[in-house]
Amino acid sequence: MGTARKKVQVVILILVLLIGGFAIGQTLFKEKSKVPGVGDQPPGFSLFDLKGEVHSLADYKGKPLVITFWGTFCPPCIRELPEFQRQYDKWKSEGLEVLAINLSEADLPVQNYVQRLNLNFTVLRDVNRKVERMYGLRSYPTTFFVKPDGNIAEIVVAEMSEEQIQKRVEKLFEP
Amino acid sequence: MFQNTKCECGHQNHVGTVLCESCGKPLGEELLSDEPLEMRYDGVARRSQKANPNLIDKIWSFFSSVKIAVYLIIITLLASVLGTIFTQENMLTEDPATYYEMNHGTIGKIYYMLGLSHTYNSWWYITLLVMIGTSLVICSLDRVLPLYRALSKQQIRKHLRFITRQKVVYTGPIEGSEEQFVERIAEQLKKKRYKVHTEGTALLAEKNRFSRWGPYINHIGLILFLLAVLARSIPGLHMDMYVAVPEGQTNEIEGTEYYIKNEKFTVNYYTDDELPDSLKGTARPKLYETKAVLYRCVEDCNELTKEPVLEEVARHDIVLNDPLSYEGLKAYQSGFDATPRLELVKPVLINKQTGEEFGPFELDIRNPQTTFQVGPYTLNLRSQYMEFAYGSNGEPTTLSREPNAPAYLFIITGPGLKEEGEAYLYFPNQIDKLQFNQDALNRSIADRFEIKVNGMENVKLSGAITYLNIRKDSAVPYIWIGAAISMIGLIMGFYWHHRRIWLRFDQGTLSLGAHTNKNFYGMRSEVAWVLGKAGIEVEPKSLDNGGNKT
Repeated sequence: MGTARKKVQVVILILVLLIGGFAIGQTLFKEKSKVPGVGDQPPGFSLFDLKGEVHSLADYKGKPLVITFWGTFCPPCIRELPEFQRQYDKWKSEGLEVLAINLSEADLPVQNYVQRLNLNFTVLRDVNRKVERMYGLRSYPTTFFVKPDGNIAEIVVAEMSEEQIQKRVEKLFEP
Repeated sequence: MFQNTKCECGHQNHVGTVLCESCGKPLGEELLSDEPLEMRYDGVARRSQKANPNLIDKIWSFFSSVKIAVYLIIITLLASVLGTIFTQENMLTEDPATYYEMNHGTIGKIYYMLGLSHTYNSWWYITLLVMIGTSLVICSLDRVLPLYRALSKQQIRKHLRFITRQKVVYTGPIEGSEEQFVERIAEQLKKKRYKVHTEGTALLAEKNRFSRWGPYINHIGLILFLLAVLARSIPGLHMDMYVAVPEGQTNEIEGTEYYIKNEKFTVNYYTDDELPDSLKGTARPKLYETKAVLYRCVEDCNELTKEPVLEEVARHDIVLNDPLSYEGLKAYQSGFDATPRLELVKPVLINKQTGEEFGPFELDIRNPQTTFQVGPYTLNLRSQYMEFAYGSNGEPTTLSREPNAPAYLFIITGPGLKEEGEAYLYFPNQIDKLQFNQDALNRSIADRFEIKVNGMENVKLSGAITYLNIRKDSAVPYIWIGAAISMIGLIMGFYWHHRRIWLRFDQGTLSLGAHTNKNFYGMRSEVAWVLGKAGIEVEPKSLDNGGNKT
């Protein structure tokens, strides 16, 4: 087996690299598995709005986005909504879009708040907490700031003042 | 520098050979000593001992070292210990980023930052396992191939020094003809199941060679076991999660194309006579069973704006330890929650002044209609609170999304009421009605009207929620196979021992040497027995040539 020896050694070592590389690679990539982070693309979705029309994330491609998750049972989320409305009014002529995804609540509470607070940005209805889980939410409110190139610029897991929202919106418009 | 590795018998040996592959004569350093021979691998050179190692050879040599393998195993063992100190991430329901610091202080924080919270999935742990696997493969190959070659082409007539330096030796004269002696010995050896080969007056008897392969079969089993364990990280081969399904509902099994329905949930409790005194009065379940149906989604599967199209694939009454099983996916009964929850109520509107009752109307707790026509009255639902409470500003609000304390604000219009309508806040739960003082809240209208439910037949409670553990582990059969092969290898190696006996005659003197890989005590017994049958009485102990501890 003289000359075959070298070949066998090389084959074995290549197999080790492939299998070992695969196994180790799995551990490195699985960490960052599904939950989107800064720099990632936000996962796509299709949800109904209050009028029963379907909106997909893809519909907003190329625009700076503020995706915020809120519920009527979450007082800080409710406090933020008028602030988002004011920011939306300020920047919508420049192309800013606000997607406020409600956390799988019933029709009536959602509609009541939207009417009471006079919100005219897009309010979407999550179903069975699916989109919430896709985005890896752990607490509320959680807001994703997405640049026009489609990558997440920042994720804020806390209530923001209007100034804080404005600062981040301005950054979305920077090249 | 070239080394002369040609033996005096004419055979050319590889560099590093300890005993000539052909005649067994000790070579090199081994020649100089008088100690019993180094018989490992029959003295054949291992693959990794070469003259000029290049990079590949150096790597090979590193992994073929048993010392390195032992170090790797010890390091992996210590690393495994570390993973048992604090609960690992994959067992937590809380957020790992805060859990460790909160529950275990600074040590916890360091533990988390070092990545020890997921020790067994970390890149360095898997690297250790891969290195152990590599070592297993290379150690085995390095030794088994030369060993196989050596054992396959054994010479019958061995060098005299080879025989006299074995660990079991007999030398002495014999009476009578050498050929006859050899024949008699051969006969006796065959009775002990030896395979006997003769060449003139030289003899080689061998038995149980197969047991030498035992350790290598064991290693094959272990490699298979390890590969199966590593394969579990391939997506789709492993799943272990829980799904909660309220009775009558169908829920998605996330990460798969399957949906599971809790068609009917039954729980039977032990009656008090069936319980011992100390447990009487406790609600101890005797049986809980989920009649489950498994569906596969065939269309519109990930569209939240459409209903998925489902196709039934399996059905089973799931009880503890009796799961629903379909194509490797198993749904086990884990637990349940039989707390009754309101699903639907059918209250009536009572005109207290006339005593008339209107309705009942159906009020779905989670997704109610917004307008109800009840007799001549119209009820407009203005607000819905799932868990009623007063907010920090004194206004009504909800604490959560779950119907833990549902409340409904109606504006009622009709005869006997103001034109613009009058407000009524309705609490379906009796407890909430009392706690929030429904009558006081509605005092301007409460003397004239009331909304209430007449009797339990007008209340629909949701059925129990069953908790099912969904598991898939496709690698497990291979783990079993790997373990079985390993066991076979171990049995082969431990229950049988490879024994060989050589003998030759030189000027009327018999030289006999014997070797085994385990249990020299038994070897000596057997040789003494064979010699005895051939007319030479010896004590087994006298055959001991030193150098062995068994």
